[in-house]
Amino acid sequence: MRRYVTIVACCLLALTGLAQAQNTTSLSVVVGPEAALTVTTGTTNLSTASTTFGNPYTGTTSLTYQVRTTKSTGSGSITLKITTDFSGTGGPSVGTPPSTGDALTYTCTVSTPGTACTGSQTASLTTATAFATFVAGANSTKAGNSASASWSLTDDPVYATGTYAATATFTISAS
Amino acid sequence: MIPASGSTGTGTQTLTATINPIGSLTAPASANLTSVGTTFQPFTGSFAVTYKARTTPVGGGSITLNVSSDFSPSGGPSAAGGALAYTCSAATLGTACSGSQTASTTVQTPVLTLPASACTGGGGACSSQNPNSVNLSFTLTDSPAYATGTYSAKVTFTISAT
Repeated sequence: MRRYVTIVACCLLALTGLAQAQNTTSLSVVVGPEAALTVTTGTTNLSTASTTFGNPYTGTTSLTYQVRTTKSTGSGSITLKITTDFSGTGGPSVGTPPSTGDALTYTCTVSTPGTACTGSQTASLTTATAFATFVAGANSTKAGNSASASWSLTDDPVYATGTYAATATFTISAS
Repeated sequence: MIPASGSTGTGTQTLTATINPIGSLTAPASANLTSVGTTFQPFTGSFAVTYKARTTPVGGGSITLNVSSDFSPSGGPSAAGGALAYTCSAATLGTACSGSQTASTTVQTPVLTLPASACTGGGGACSSQNPNSVNLSFTLTDSPAYATGTYSAKVTFTISAT
């Protein structure tokens, strides 16, 4: 009899010591294609070491991009367009170059997973031109991947001396 | 045994009830984490967990959560990698967790603490709400490294009372 009572007391203590219950929620998320970029060079100064028209004005614009394209069927790109032509009169112009052959051109350097444009591209005031492409299932790092445009602007003797500024806009897209 | 001649008998029975600490809770079966539309900003989602609790004068209690099944399939977000966080607010009984908590696949993380002598419903010494509720707001890191697709994880809530 004493053993029986002891067992009951033990079980009652267990019952009153801790009560627990659980419930579960399923969290779902749909991850779609996305893309973003940041131009990390505030202002790109085009300059030349030549004093005799031997070399164009050159400079480099750096940027960081983040991209995620759809598996199997997606793609993406970075393009650039001159959205504001060189200011002032008498200087270089993307829209209306003063001499035949004057141009603002660039070459592309793009880290994986992007593929850089091939060769030298002529920047345009009216058309977005190629900078980089991405295949299906492309994923950049969380911090972003690097890319840069190396500019070249013809040094034409007809340009009036002065300082001129233009705006280049990079656009990234992903599907 | 029936008496040989007419008579009556009485008996007494002592009734005892032991009121134990107890807790129960209800969470939605599913919840969606959605993008706010800005690129690579966290996915967010919120919902309320409702609960009933009774703790002893010397006890207390808690609600915790644990990611009992990480996001699947692979290639997407991972709670084990610290991508899922949450905040707690508006607890109608007890104290909601403070600050941002990183959900874990290995340990229980706090949602709410219950004081001694806590009880749901009835007013007076107990809460006036029945059931009680606490709001949770989840954020899931959006990384470009995630492959596109739909991912699901399971979060298990546990209420304990003493």
